[in-house]
Amino acid sequence: MAGIKVLLVDDEAGFRKTLGKRLARRGMVVEEAESGEKALEVLESFDPDVVLLDVKMPGMDGLTALHKIKLINPLIEVVMLTGHASMDIAINGMELGAFDYLMKPVEFEELLYKLEDASIRKRHHEEKITAKEHSQ
Amino acid sequence: MGILDWLPWRARKKTPEELAEIRRVFAARYDHFRLLIQANTRAHELIGELEEALRGFTPYGMQYVNTLCTRISTSIFQMVRHLGELDHKGHDELMVAMESINERIMTALAPEKHEVTGELVVDLSAVGRDHADLCGPKMAMLGEAGNSLGLNIPAGFVITVDAYYQFVEAGGLRPEVARLIQATDSNDREALFRTSSDIMQLVMETRLPDDLAEIILAAYDRLSEQLGEAPDLAVRSSALGEDAEGSSYAGQYRSVLNVDRAALLDSYKEVVASKFSRQAMAYRMSRGIRDEDVAMSVGCMTMVEAMSGGVAYSRNPVNVRDDAVSIHSVWGLPKPVVDGTAETDVFVVNRKSLVVNERIIVKKPDMFVCSPKKGVCRETMVEELRCEPSLTDEQAATIAREAVRIETQFGTPQDVEWAMTADGVFHLLQCRPLMQIDSAKVEHPSAADLPKPVLSGGRVASPGVGVGPAYSVRKDVDALSFPDGGVMILKHALPSRAALLDRCSALISEQGGMAGHLANVAREFGVPALFGVKGAVGKFENGRILTVDADGHAVYEGAVEALLVEKPIERIMRGSPVQAALRKAARHIVRLNLTDPESPEFRPENCKTLHDIMRYCHEKGVSGMFEFGTDNDFVEAASRQLICDVPKQFWVLNLDDGFLPEGEARTDQCILLEHVDSYPMHALWEGMQAVQWEGPPPVHTKGLMSVMFEATMNPDLNPASGTRYTQKNYFMISKNYCSLQSRFGFHFCGVESLVSDRTSENYASFQFKGGAANVERRILRARFVGDLLEDLDFRVRVRQDNMFARVEGLPRKAMGRRLKILGYLITHTRQLDMIMTNKAEVKRRKEKFLKDFEMFD
Repeated sequence: MAGIKVLLVDDEAGFRKTLGKRLARRGMVVEEAESGEKALEVLESFDPDVVLLDVKMPGMDGLTALHKIKLINPLIEVVMLTGHASMDIAINGMELGAFDYLMKPVEFEELLYKLEDASIRKRHHEEKITAKEHSQ
Repeated sequence: MGILDWLPWRARKKTPEELAEIRRVFAARYDHFRLLIQANTRAHELIGELEEALRGFTPYGMQYVNTLCTRISTSIFQMVRHLGELDHKGHDELMVAMESINERIMTALAPEKHEVTGELVVDLSAVGRDHADLCGPKMAMLGEAGNSLGLNIPAGFVITVDAYYQFVEAGGLRPEVARLIQATDSNDREALFRTSSDIMQLVMETRLPDDLAEIILAAYDRLSEQLGEAPDLAVRSSALGEDAEGSSYAGQYRSVLNVDRAALLDSYKEVVASKFSRQAMAYRMSRGIRDEDVAMSVGCMTMVEAMSGGVAYSRNPVNVRDDAVSIHSVWGLPKPVVDGTAETDVFVVNRKSLVVNERIIVKKPDMFVCSPKKGVCRETMVEELRCEPSLTDEQAATIAREAVRIETQFGTPQDVEWAMTADGVFHLLQCRPLMQIDSAKVEHPSAADLPKPVLSGGRVASPGVGVGPAYSVRKDVDALSFPDGGVMILKHALPSRAALLDRCSALISEQGGMAGHLANVAREFGVPALFGVKGAVGKFENGRILTVDADGHAVYEGAVEALLVEKPIERIMRGSPVQAALRKAARHIVRLNLTDPESPEFRPENCKTLHDIMRYCHEKGVSGMFEFGTDNDFVEAASRQLICDVPKQFWVLNLDDGFLPEGEARTDQCILLEHVDSYPMHALWEGMQAVQWEGPPPVHTKGLMSVMFEATMNPDLNPASGTRYTQKNYFMISKNYCSLQSRFGFHFCGVESLVSDRTSENYASFQFKGGAANVERRILRARFVGDLLEDLDFRVRVRQDNMFARVEGLPRKAMGRRLKILGYLITHTRQLDMIMTNKAEVKRRKEKFLKDFEMFD
């Protein structure tokens, strides 16, 4: 769990700050952004393993942000976190490559496992690419 | 480009680098497999939840349904994705199948699309029965009663449902409200109350579209002109969408009285906001009514200068056989009768002769009046009139006559709100269908058989008997800790307490009217209620068990057996629109069509439901891991024969991290049991070897004949047929995972389990089928094993001679114990089917099994 780099993107400051603190206490390296646009900015200098992304935000919405993040670095795993239950958006998110789609309120333990699984997935993905490069 | 394509080596000794690469590939594949299994477990749990919700015993809303379906479809998507990473074959067809199923589910869940076509404001005099969809049933009926029966109804106008939709759309309220509701834990009452106020506040803060505001004010101005003066209005709700089966009384919405032009727009918003009052939300929740299906139409009507007012029932609400008209009346405006907060006079009138048969006159210390200067306020009644009947017999007869006329016109018993002006003229303010309860035809025990009551008297507001812990609710904060199934004790029958009714086993109130809101909802929910019981509040310590016998006008301490008749548990959600939506969606989720993995029909194109896709992905995932791992190229890295001292051959396929380094190092393609590092596998093995199998049970000639018959007829019993997987006995393992599929004699069984530190992801599943004996005995055996496992918290399904059992979410030790028992069962249920018709033998076996299980504790 320690050392996982997480970018939290959510327009609700209270939620973001509280969650950020809890994750940091578990040894994760946490950065925050209050919008999709801000998140893209942060990605210029921060290379996270996982992005925790809110779906409904003013300005750039979650799905657009997800798409743009994947363009910047397809290896970054994105977990959608949302207060809206919408099958439509969930499936779209999954098709755009989201790792999972969680609904608030989410249990902290469940969220931790999700972040852990996402970072393991990223590691395997990176190792595969390295192996491919070696064999060529 | 497949995974085998960029491994250039074939069936020769591997270099350390090559071995490392194989290990990496296996680890990556296992990661996908583990995530597939994780999604599978989640999908199983969610579908179980869905089936439970369809049974309809606990209330839920549309939010819950949308969430459940979103979670299920997301889990299935992940299974398809991870399977695709393991094996690309069939992936495209699977995606197509899944997409079309998801489309169908989303269609089933979509709310009815409403077209805004009609007028935004309609004059009440122009409203009739046919306007129910535009103006809500209440205004429609009021208008109809005025027109077709010539009754006096207030002058006014209706702000229609189309106006409501315009308001809601323009303000972006729908998605925002949905978001607030979604984020609230429906089990957290405090959170629900907060959400309710947040939403109401949101509505109040949202601006009305300019053209709508103009139209409303123009209607007011027209009314002023018509009346020759600027009137004070009563602004009242007339909501659409609450006519679900058996519910006649909607959640109480706000009525705002004495509204002038300046306050009109805000009052409109207030009434619209009350759609999300605590009572209204709780009511919809427990009735399974969808929030988005409730549209608010609002009536704005002149206030009547009532000398007396109240409510009339054209029949007895608690007794279908009583057709007398009952009138509940007070001095002044009918407001306190509708709220149920005041004591009222009651007149019972014969519906044919219009003779007043019964009169109950109470002390009426206050009344509500509409004063042009002070607005609506409570005034103290003059001394002389306090104990005087608020109606003369003649006036009561008039009211009764009109109530019956309205009932005849609309064809159902009526709940009528009326006012009488000083000139003796009857004014109709509202009418709606009256719900009658048919109280159970149970023999009421005589007083001699019952203990002495601790409280008696009062009026039956709602019939029946209830028992539960007493709980006095004095302040709002008390409502938050109200125990489920409690007996609610109130000083006043406040309408806001209706929000708790779906959790009450009974209700006692010191004051309150039978015709008020709380009484109405209590009757609708079948909660026995006794009103007018003095001294109830604070008499009982909270938590003290009470039996409330509403029909007997008595309250007892403790549970009185003689009164407690087994009442069938009500399926509250049955027939509700929310459940209907879930049912439609469930058609594309629950049913399993792909049952036989070995059949040629087991293909993505034949997946009709999400469960089919789930089954397909799981099956292909497991067999795919096996095929890949036992491919000759990887044999030395992955698959070994187990060294053990049982005659049977067992093989172990290591999917990831299931072998200790000492075991890995061996070059003879074998593995020692102690070098296997898999918790579930060891537990299973321990169970399998714990007790020596007694050997095939003694068989009578009949039994043996049936075995031979089956053997010649059933091709599945030919060991040469079937997949490679089921021919040898393979354990597929990792540190936390184990899967075993095996044929023992004539029966097939499969076990699969994951046990890690993540308790929520732990599971064990056990399946078996087949057998040597005839179908009857095989079915008996399946049931026998199923029963044993149900006692161990497994969810069991028996289909003929197939038994499926599954348990999830238990901590490590508990899972370990169950795995040992499963191992034991694998060994000891062999050929058990042969003796299943011998009852004595079955009993002996069961006892032996249970005794042997004890060693696993």
